[in-house]
Amino acid sequence: MNAVEFILAGMLAAATPFLLAALGEMVVERAGVLNLGVEGLMALGAVIAFIVVYHGGGHFLGFITAGISAALLSLVFAFIALGFRANQVATGLAIGILGQGLSALFGKTYESLTVKGLPKIAIPGLSEIPVIGGLFVQDIVVWLSLLATLVIWATFAFTKTGLVIRAVGENPKAAHAIGYPVIGVRVAAVAFGGMMAGFAGAYASVIYTPLWADGMIAGRGWIAIALVVFGTWLTGRIFLGACLFGAVSLMSLAAQATGLDLPSQLLSSLPYLVTIIVLGIISADRRRLKMNGVASLGEPFEH
Amino acid sequence: MTHLTRRNLMKAAAATGLAGALGSRFAVAADEQLGITLVIPSPIGDVGWGHALSAGLDPVKAAYGDKVRVTILENIAEGPDADRIMNKTVADGNKFLIAGSFGYQNGALQIARRDPSVTVLHASGFQVAPNFSPFAAKYFQGSYLLGMAAAALSKTGKLGSVSAFAIPELITTINAFTLGAQAVKPDIEVSVVWVNSWFDPAKEQEAAKALIAQQCDVIFSNAQDTPSVISACEEAGVYAFNLNSSMKKYAPKTYLGCVSTDWSPFFKASVDAHFAGTFKGANTFLGVADKVVKVVDWNPDIPADTMTKIKELEAKIADGTFSPFTGPITKADGSEGVASGATMPDGEIVAMDWHVKGVATPLPK
Repeated sequence: MNAVEFILAGMLAAATPFLLAALGEMVVERAGVLNLGVEGLMALGAVIAFIVVYHGGGHFLGFITAGISAALLSLVFAFIALGFRANQVATGLAIGILGQGLSALFGKTYESLTVKGLPKIAIPGLSEIPVIGGLFVQDIVVWLSLLATLVIWATFAFTKTGLVIRAVGENPKAAHAIGYPVIGVRVAAVAFGGMMAGFAGAYASVIYTPLWADGMIAGRGWIAIALVVFGTWLTGRIFLGACLFGAVSLMSLAAQATGLDLPSQLLSSLPYLVTIIVLGIISADRRRLKMNGVASLGEPFEH
Repeated sequence: MTHLTRRNLMKAAAATGLAGALGSRFAVAADEQLGITLVIPSPIGDVGWGHALSAGLDPVKAAYGDKVRVTILENIAEGPDADRIMNKTVADGNKFLIAGSFGYQNGALQIARRDPSVTVLHASGFQVAPNFSPFAAKYFQGSYLLGMAAAALSKTGKLGSVSAFAIPELITTINAFTLGAQAVKPDIEVSVVWVNSWFDPAKEQEAAKALIAQQCDVIFSNAQDTPSVISACEEAGVYAFNLNSSMKKYAPKTYLGCVSTDWSPFFKASVDAHFAGTFKGANTFLGVADKVVKVVDWNPDIPADTMTKIKELEAKIADGTFSPFTGPITKADGSEGVASGATMPDGEIVAMDWHVKGVATPLPK
């Protein structure tokens, strides 16, 4: 296997935690809420999924419980930030720290234990193509994440639900005036975002790196939030950004393994640089950027 | 107002030194319970650096019973937070501090200078004070032996190492690993991936997979605290080994061995000295001869003749007749590292900033 095949084969799996968390956060932000607690929500999902899988509950149950527990924690955020109209930035940070603390607490006795990941599923035919064949050998969660990306894109592009979420984010007063439950929609979006972050954490701890170690999310939640902004709240761009980030982070490791004469510190920072540059270029058009931005992001709603 | 002048500084330094000398003689009351605090940057698991340090305190507890009280503070980030926490634990009356990470150096040294009755042991540093000893393990002695085993088992002639940061301690382990491998197969190559993080299991595992994709068939997990690399190697069916504590249970088939560290002889001796009032800060660099470094859990796949050679060299390392860094050693850039017949002194080993010939990956500057 050469370096290119290695990157293509690993890119989607490396992107999946970022993709799931970023798509969830995108829905939250589209509804006008800024939840900065993604890192903590991912950590909580990761530890819950790990505990369930470790005790023989299976990966499916692990993901479900991870999604539910992270959604519940994000509802605490909703309760404070939407119910009491507290500052969303501060509340999100607090919930994030709480999530990391809880994950450390629950994971205390599971520190550096391992579980089995999931087998990869190859798409017959496509997976035999030389060089790019590796792209089509992925575990089930990667395939489901791609499906989720499509569904979320279609929801915003074609359905009334998508329009309602956008209306609530763009102009909550108008949405309220025509009878939509602004707070209800926002709470649902926050819970959905929490669930997706929980899935992202679960993917990290029981499939991608099937072990639990406190702090293993290692800043991935923050990258997911950044991807939403750089992807200008568009599903396709966020998908592109996550894949790019995954590919370039693998590339920086593969480059070292092949003995390329570049400083490793530079290679380590490449994923960030490349993602910022590429997404910066495609969103350089300020008028379109303004069009995609969410008008009421982070503002509490009062009627 | 006192001005900050060279003379005043000298006076202050002399006073601290004097206080240190007096303090270590008179401050310890023999019947008092000694509080020992261990501060480490990562969570304590079943394996890894933190585990090795905390396990090193068990014989101390067993020997002294109620006379010592051990507190372990884990997951303490290096920086101001660590300084605050170390100050707090000393203020609470714990007079024996083990600062388990390089980055704690300045804060721990300040504590030692301020209070001569406190004894401080500091991991992998270079500063020394009358009541402040840096300590490090000669991991390279073990990684040399595992390099021999790796070369005997490798079919591709390519070995790999997933390494945390390009600091001398990790560079020496890679160099010794390479030299050991070359002792068995002279043209063997070692590729290194620096993950530039002490703790990121996902990235470490990706790095291991990147090396495996480049046909490396023995991987050295260099300073990872979780079985990230070891379990990825078991899955891929390539041999792997690590430092500090055994991870055999994560790779029952392909676990090559462990350069384990047992800190208990050093911790016990230091606590003994603290009680006796004879503790004297010194740079302690401990290896096979001190029974601190030991290779355990050798894989049965290693050919018998290689194993015999390994055991011979291990005995020679223990009695001091062999050092992995014995010349001639050529640097990766082709210049002379160690002259023929010469042995590198410890002082140079701890500051090594070049790779030996045979390490394919250039060293980050």
